[in-house]
Amino acid sequence: MAVDPPQVAEHAALSLAMAVVVSSPSPLLLLDGDLNVVAASASFGLVFEVGPDDLVGRPVLEMGGGEWNIPQFRSLLEATASGVANIEAYELVLRHPGRGLRQLVIHAQRLVYLDLNHTRLMVAIADVTDARADEKVKDDALRQNVILLQEVRHRVANSLQIIASVLLHNARKTQSDETRGHLKDAHSRVMSVAALERQLAGTGEGAVELQPYFTSLCESIAASMITDAQHLTLSVTGLEGMIDGRISVSLGLIVTELVINALKHAFPHGRGGRIVVDFEFRGPNWTLSVSDDGVGMPTDPTAIRTGLGTSIVAALAQQLEAEVQTASAHPGTRVSVTHSHIALVAEDEQMLAVAVARKRPAA
Amino acid sequence: MNALRKPGPTLLIVEDEVLAAMALRDELEEAGYNVLNLTGHHQTALASAEAFTPDLALVNIQLDGRDDGIALAEDLKALGVPVLFISGQVSRARSAETVAIASLPKPYSVTDAVMAVNYLLALMSGDDSLPRPRILEVFDLPGIRPRSDAA
Repeated sequence: MAVDPPQVAEHAALSLAMAVVVSSPSPLLLLDGDLNVVAASASFGLVFEVGPDDLVGRPVLEMGGGEWNIPQFRSLLEATASGVANIEAYELVLRHPGRGLRQLVIHAQRLVYLDLNHTRLMVAIADVTDARADEKVKDDALRQNVILLQEVRHRVANSLQIIASVLLHNARKTQSDETRGHLKDAHSRVMSVAALERQLAGTGEGAVELQPYFTSLCESIAASMITDAQHLTLSVTGLEGMIDGRISVSLGLIVTELVINALKHAFPHGRGGRIVVDFEFRGPNWTLSVSDDGVGMPTDPTAIRTGLGTSIVAALAQQLEAEVQTASAHPGTRVSVTHSHIALVAEDEQMLAVAVARKRPAA
Repeated sequence: MNALRKPGPTLLIVEDEVLAAMALRDELEEAGYNVLNLTGHHQTALASAEAFTPDLALVNIQLDGRDDGIALAEDLKALGVPVLFISGQVSRARSAETVAIASLPKPYSVTDAVMAVNYLLALMSGDDSLPRPRILEVFDLPGIRPRSDAA
């Protein structure tokens, strides 16, 4: 291989350096120690609309129509040329005659190379105006989503309010005691869903804290169905925890039905006592129970009537893959709804994993 | 429910959803309150408040047309009428806690609403023995002007 004479090698090295600068895809300038442009990338000319004649050999601050003559730009270049500092990600606003205000990010560096007599600066200039605008659009969209969600929740709350009001209004106006009872039950069911909506709106998340939810639910039922609060108490016990909104709406409806049922049948003729709603987590499994210390179940099984409430509880329990058990509590009755998916042998492990993930209370 | 005043405390309900307003009125009347004519308008509500000086105004935040319950609450406060927000817009209600004394978020049951009114009226007359409904959020009571200043 033939060795080039030194002068040819020097020329080759210089033209390589120039070619590197000119072909840079992001805007790049090579300056001398007096801040004159030695070379500029073609991309610089395109992005900032400066013709090549206005660039090479001219002072950098006089490029274009003088829009680059910005005091901060001058001082950061002077600092770089004197070797005081390397400039990393300096932000600058350029008032471009054709394109308006441009947000720039500037990197400037004094090059270290063999020729000590000629100072050279490398200046990379990125125009981030459009990227920043895109980010803003994304942030705005996110904010818009939150507002929309709030609006939807507000409408749901309003609609539930109207439905509950209509039911109660009808209950007031009807002449029949039986119909009134049914309408009041329906009102309690709607309010059970309503209590959940309030909890969801309060947290702003998809999960619900069970304790306050059940407590507010029971308070609402007690207020509308217990006439003598001194003799009959309704309380909530159990561990605190969060549970998915879709599951808690079913749990709330089950609690509503079981409490209404206990209020109707366990304490006849003004009998006093207490009803306890309890919820226990055991990992992904849980047990919801409603116990009373009332008169207990009828001894004659044929006397047990299965009303709408019972069928609602059965249907919801099935939906939650849970089992309903009714037992004598001596005194009174205890109805429990137990979900124990994990104890079963999983036919499909992936399905099981999904179910567990969905039903595990978020920490 | 109109100009005829009975002995019980007087309430003003300002709510654009007429069915919700009617159910609330019926329950409050049953509980012995005097409820002024229902309205969902700022100006009508204000005129009613000026004429009858209710003991408490139950105000929804979203009202008829472009009327806003928070603006109304400011005007009612200036008249010395304490305001209880009844709205699902909980965060807006909270942001206006200086013009109202409490917030009952929708959806509420009317029995909760009656308990809330009982509780607040008792509290304003210095009696804090009544139970506070769990869903009622009470703001700073210094927000109320004593009734004697209202006249």
